[in-house]
Amino acid sequence: MGNEAIILFIILGLVLVGGAFAMSYLVSPKNVTPLKEETYECGIETMGSSWIQFKVGYYLFAMLFLIFDVETIFIVPWAVVMKKVGLVAFIEILIFFLILGLGLLYAWKKRALRWE
Amino acid sequence: MEESGYFDFSPIVNNIHESLAASFSPGWAMAIAWALIGITLILFAALSVIILVYVERKVAAFFQVRLGPMRVGPWGLLQTVADFIKLLMKEHITSRNADKFLFNLAPFIIVTAAFLGLGAIPFALGLHIFDINIGLFYITAVSSVGVLGILLGGWAGNNKYSLIGALRSGAQIVSYELSITLSLLAVVVLAGSLQLSEIIASQENGWWIFKGHISAWIAFVIFMIAGTAETNRGPFDLAEAESELTAGFHTEYSGIKFAMFFLAEYLSLFIIASVGATVFFGGWLPFHIGTWQAFNHIMDYIPPIVWFFGKVAGIIGIIMWFKWTFPRLRIDQLLILEWKYLLPINLFNLILVSFIALMGWYF
Amino acid sequence: MERILFYLIAAVIIVFSVLTVTSRRILRAAVYLLFVLMATAGFYFMLNYNFLGAVQLTVYSGGIVVLIVFAVLLTAHMDHKLDPPDRLKALAVGLLSLFGMGITLYALRSFPWAVTALPEGAYDIEAIGMRLLSYGDKGYVLPFEVISVLLLAAMVAAIIIAKKSTSND
Repeated sequence: MGNEAIILFIILGLVLVGGAFAMSYLVSPKNVTPLKEETYECGIETMGSSWIQFKVGYYLFAMLFLIFDVETIFIVPWAVVMKKVGLVAFIEILIFFLILGLGLLYAWKKRALRWE
Repeated sequence: MEESGYFDFSPIVNNIHESLAASFSPGWAMAIAWALIGITLILFAALSVIILVYVERKVAAFFQVRLGPMRVGPWGLLQTVADFIKLLMKEHITSRNADKFLFNLAPFIIVTAAFLGLGAIPFALGLHIFDINIGLFYITAVSSVGVLGILLGGWAGNNKYSLIGALRSGAQIVSYELSITLSLLAVVVLAGSLQLSEIIASQENGWWIFKGHISAWIAFVIFMIAGTAETNRGPFDLAEAESELTAGFHTEYSGIKFAMFFLAEYLSLFIIASVGATVFFGGWLPFHIGTWQAFNHIMDYIPPIVWFFGKVAGIIGIIMWFKWTFPRLRIDQLLILEWKYLLPINLFNLILVSFIALMGWYF
Repeated sequence: MERILFYLIAAVIIVFSVLTVTSRRILRAAVYLLFVLMATAGFYFMLNYNFLGAVQLTVYSGGIVVLIVFAVLLTAHMDHKLDPPDRLKALAVGLLSLFGMGITLYALRSFPWAVTALPEGAYDIEAIGMRLLSYGDKGYVLPFEVISVLLLAAMVAAIIIAKKSTSND
């Protein structure tokens, strides 16, 4: 199948989840009480919202991920033709990794990779 | 690929296509073909998840010298079916404080992402629904969308446990995604293609795990570690560490919505295992040893689909084994493992493998 | 079939783009943005630009949106619904958007579009790789290497900003 298969898979995912929800809706009991609608935490009443400020560490790792993700995008075409192009490709990726390695080393030395 | 005696599914598939085209107009033939593929894929997904959950429970039980599920059906075989029916009949409960729209949307995102990946997997010769030319990259791309389902689902519940679980999960999955892609690229350098059928064809004379020397082994080990982390399984299951976070990002989900997260989790386990089997172990290709003609012929008698599922089962078995062998990591250890060990080793390994490819030191 | 699909994806993009900017809840806006980006990837797959489609999915849907979600979680009041903008601002922004749309439409209409046929099958990733690594005519090896410098700069900047905000509190 060509690229139209992607549509099929998306439809399948939606149909499966939607169908399961619908089927469950038909057979499940509907008896909502205020107590059931409580946040499921630890038995006593929930204190405040959990939508509060989080630590910056997660954001930093997401940022680092994004940078290396973009890097991966450039390595993918390189990996496909590496064998064909030969020595030139090897030298080019060596330079590429050297510069990126510097970045990783900087992050390491700045203790950005440490969870504090 | 030379003409081989493998059991080929393509005549069957072509037959179905031709008979459909003969008896219906093109539009209807396509619609029926889609419906057939769709029903097969959904049934396959449901069945594989039911089996995987059962196996998981049995494996867990045997590791702890228990018997596991034994009551429902012979050896408890129908236990997961019963569980599914029970989950289906549970009430839909949404917390008062939740963002209801995102809460219900998250299962759709995560299951659809899993299906997008599942379709691109080569099950056997001729049994490959979607053989896209960027195969491997496509699978990693669509599975990277699944993390959003986890993040949104965890956030929407407005529950402290689920939010912490979702954030940990998100940081973990995006980090280890890099390692998965880079470790697979090590084999892509040797195979020279991203298309899964071509990667399999390049292993006709030996699997990459044997042909690729040390670098393929390094890549495979990294792939296994990152794959375990990517599917949120123990020892990397700190996102749903039962003892501290109740159930992690899906704490607020109950009934069928919880079942959908469960489904997606096991589907992604299956996808990871089949990608590993395809890239490192030759997919549906039988095991051959050099010039041992008789041995190779005997191996050829086992149909490719059995080989494929056997290899997938092996990798899933190793991943399940991990869970009961290693203690759970902390979030800081987890991130250090990825960023200070796996990533630099991966980059180094890519240079090593390109050097090997350059010198022609592979078979 | 192809036309229906095109209009379907275009409709998805337009509807969710509008929802992205009009949604009062910041995380929902991020989700709508996710759908816009995924529909854009759908266009690339429709045109057989498979590599670009996968890049769109990896970087934008799986990267940028995740980053946005983490950034939203960093804000102090993420459950806070944004206040509806006052009339004057809304009017000014609407006029500005219309002006921008006018310029874009004018540029699109005046460009001499050449009708080209879709090539047989998908674009080859090998061709992309060859171009990326060749240093001759039409080679892109310099951008390829410069990209790594750019990424290095981005990484240093990200670390400095994130580290500064942690040392402040």
